[in-house]
Amino acid sequence: MSTSARTDIFARLRRVTSATQAENVEQERASLGSAPPPELPADELCEAFLVNVLKNCGSAACASNRGNAVRAVAEHLYRHHRQHRLVAGNDPRLAAMPWRDAGVLPRFGALESGELVALSFARVGIAELGGVVTYTGRHNPAVNNFLPERHIVLLDVADLVADTEEAWARIHRASDKQGRPRGINIIAGPSSTADIEGQLVYGAHGPRHWHVILLGDVPEGALDRARAATGSAEPD
Amino acid sequence: MNDNPRATVDAKTGPQVALFITCLADLFRPAVGFASLSLLQRTGYAVSVPMAQTCCGQPAYNSGDYDAARTLARRVIEVLAPADYVVVPSGSCAGMLCHHYPRLLEGVWHERALELAARTFELTSFLEEIAPRMTHATPEPATPAGSGVVYLDSCAGLRELGIREQPRALLRETRGIEAGELEQRDVCCGFGGTFCAKMPAISAKMADDKLDSAMATGAHTLVGGDLGCLLHLAGRARRRGLDIELRHIAELLAGETTGPAIGGEL
Amino acid sequence: MQQRSEQFLDSADTALQDKDAAQRRDLMALFAPAMRDAAVENFTAYEATRKHVKRIRRHSLDNLAHYLAQFEHQAVANGNRVHFARNADELNSITLDICQQHSAHHIAKGKSMVTEETGLSGFLQRAGLQVVETDLGEYIIQQAGETPSHIVGPALHKSRDEIRALFLDKHPLGERQLDETTALVDEARKVLRPQFLQADVGIIGANALIAENGYSMLVTNEGNGDLCANLPRVLIVCTTIDRVLPRAEDATAMLRLLVRSATGQAQTCYTSFYSGPRRAQDLDGPLETHFVLLDNQRSDILDSGFAEMLDCIRCGACLNHCPIYTGVGGHAYGWVYPGPMGSVLTPLLTSLEHSNALPNACTACGRCAEVCPADIPLPDLLRDLRARENSERLNAPRWRLGISLQSWLAGKPRLYHALTGACIALLYRMGRKRGSFRRLPFAGGWTSQRDFPAPQGKTFMQQYKEALREH
Repeated sequence: MSTSARTDIFARLRRVTSATQAENVEQERASLGSAPPPELPADELCEAFLVNVLKNCGSAACASNRGNAVRAVAEHLYRHHRQHRLVAGNDPRLAAMPWRDAGVLPRFGALESGELVALSFARVGIAELGGVVTYTGRHNPAVNNFLPERHIVLLDVADLVADTEEAWARIHRASDKQGRPRGINIIAGPSSTADIEGQLVYGAHGPRHWHVILLGDVPEGALDRARAATGSAEPD
Repeated sequence: MNDNPRATVDAKTGPQVALFITCLADLFRPAVGFASLSLLQRTGYAVSVPMAQTCCGQPAYNSGDYDAARTLARRVIEVLAPADYVVVPSGSCAGMLCHHYPRLLEGVWHERALELAARTFELTSFLEEIAPRMTHATPEPATPAGSGVVYLDSCAGLRELGIREQPRALLRETRGIEAGELEQRDVCCGFGGTFCAKMPAISAKMADDKLDSAMATGAHTLVGGDLGCLLHLAGRARRRGLDIELRHIAELLAGETTGPAIGGEL
Repeated sequence: MQQRSEQFLDSADTALQDKDAAQRRDLMALFAPAMRDAAVENFTAYEATRKHVKRIRRHSLDNLAHYLAQFEHQAVANGNRVHFARNADELNSITLDICQQHSAHHIAKGKSMVTEETGLSGFLQRAGLQVVETDLGEYIIQQAGETPSHIVGPALHKSRDEIRALFLDKHPLGERQLDETTALVDEARKVLRPQFLQADVGIIGANALIAENGYSMLVTNEGNGDLCANLPRVLIVCTTIDRVLPRAEDATAMLRLLVRSATGQAQTCYTSFYSGPRRAQDLDGPLETHFVLLDNQRSDILDSGFAEMLDCIRCGACLNHCPIYTGVGGHAYGWVYPGPMGSVLTPLLTSLEHSNALPNACTACGRCAEVCPADIPLPDLLRDLRARENSERLNAPRWRLGISLQSWLAGKPRLYHALTGACIALLYRMGRKRGSFRRLPFAGGWTSQRDFPAPQGKTFMQQYKEALREH
């Protein structure tokens, strides 16, 4: 059934649409170029990213090195859950963090029932969206993005780009080298819905809370300026 | 705004302006036609009314009878051929001529439609942007300056012709009237030609929303550039017994507001 | 879904009389445009992006055979099964087959207007499968036994109290308050979580199909679509053939317009691209993935004067900005797609004869076209449908006659002026005392709701002619 449907549909489409040769179609697409780059809320990339993370009702912190990063995770965990446990994917970057220095006990794997907090190490950060990119896989099982109450994401400043087009360039390069990930998730905030009378509520099905820790050489005061720009309260 | 000194426009050799009265004004509110004539005459241009005009063809066009609309379009193009400018006291009729005639017609008629469009203007757009500055025939404004008038935008005028600031500027500059603004002024009043008769309950709801906004401003006069909207709203206002007058902007600009308002007692 | 658009006027009347629902719609009419406007104003690249995306869509649809073939090739290389369906029946049957092959009983479903078109949920349920809608709005209307009233917010017609009563009735969770919206959402989260975990099959739609790499794109704020796409062992993606775009960046460029136009956000919470079944390095994900690609008149529309309608990205902005939609609500339109876009699609996808009220539910104000991120000339398409209605004689004879008469008469100026002169003189005499008519023959549609303003005297043309004669 489906094969004759396929034949029918393609026959109709070939009758109706252009008969341009494939190379010429590709050329025409190439000639249309890319979308205009969107304006960012700040000139400096980290600040722009952080502004948008906060606008998305995520929370944010900065850490200049991995030691500070694990301490930032520990602080966040303790403040919100009075505990030191979380689940993290098998990303080698996560395994290599000095967890013992901050007394955090990550379990490396996929989130299981009863576990409240998951930690991901993002592949790319997109300032335009205030969002991060993860690939599904052992390094970051999809459930770690979508099932916990709280999702913490680490992002290296070196992996931060201005817009989605730049992000795709990086993703395509990575795919060329390592093969296509099953899933590419761009996450820009905690889960939300406005389906009831248009009222915005967080924690629809995915995480209620979303926390981004920007790791590396972040310009002095970037987070403070981002907080001022968005009217966000202090430490998250 | 046009700053040409108007001292020496020679009505005989200067631009010839044709008034396209519109069928609604012709039948239901001639005052709009006479006010428009008066306003156009004050520009010093020669003004005439082509006697063979009837209707721009919008009813047929919007009802989907494109053939009938084309026939009327071709007639109108012929009737208006001699004029240097065509002025229309209606955003929707002017939009029909400028925007939709070229869409309807092909070949040579398409070219002629484009040519007509280039010299056709809605009334306030013409007065504000093209014609030399008017003199005031009556030195005193017909309504007290700055009070009690709220403006109704025409959807077609707004979106097809960019009529927004022109009527407001004219009211301000020539009558000293600062027109008030309606809440949700960009939302349609519910006339829509045959729509208001085909779907009366929905159109009445839209009229009520518009009239309620007008009443909320405390204005005593609702003024607009399209008689379709005004007849529909005036009719609904009368049915509800609302205390508000509706007039066409030509009447206010010409200072001719002593007669009855639309739908008012004669 | 069964089409009931013939009942538009009656349904509209009923809707207008429901004061509470009308008030909610009035609020939507106020706030949705304000949010969209704020988001667009804040996006300086809006116009340039709109133009770019329009060119990409036109190029994609002009070369749809090429890109669909490319998508299929890539999707198959990624490990998907790709099925084609000419119509609703085929999509439904193919999907049921897949479920039955896997002895599936329990389906978790994401929001998909295409599956509403085909009535997939009902079809699967009649075959004995349990189908749970996981998008909160869709879940609510599924529980209520209703149809969506808006393509983005399907349950926005319901009040919080109604939803509270529904949850108290349908969820056997004992005594509880549920007074706050947060509590309702929490309960839905609790109730639906096990559904994701237990489902045998996940069914989702797609906002775009990417030809260059065979991925499908899904955007949500809730994350429910992602749970459907990652937890069950089988995933079925149902969408239409016109969703194909050449490159991944084309989809995200389009998204910049979609999100702002739909909800006034600058981005969705979750933008996901799924390529196929679990790989060696995956710890989760479906073992088997399928695409069911539906035509259902799209290729016909592509070949018609209505091809631009395929550019629609389903943002719902035209609904939010249409005073007729916000006046009567989505259910009056009688099918899956309401508002201006629905008034074009319903006749094209079902039957003009049974939905001709819809293209007439329009004043041609142009507000929809103004905000359409895909730059679709909706008022023109609606008028063209009225032209088809006219040429197929589907409209009421008295309207056709009236218009023909008026047009014919307008072509004969001397007769026109004489006849109108006489009628107007009569109306003037009849109406001069009161200034307007409560009732008028042939004008029942007008006078049912309005007085008819009386003429002022003779017609302008008569008076002008007389004035000329005197000089």
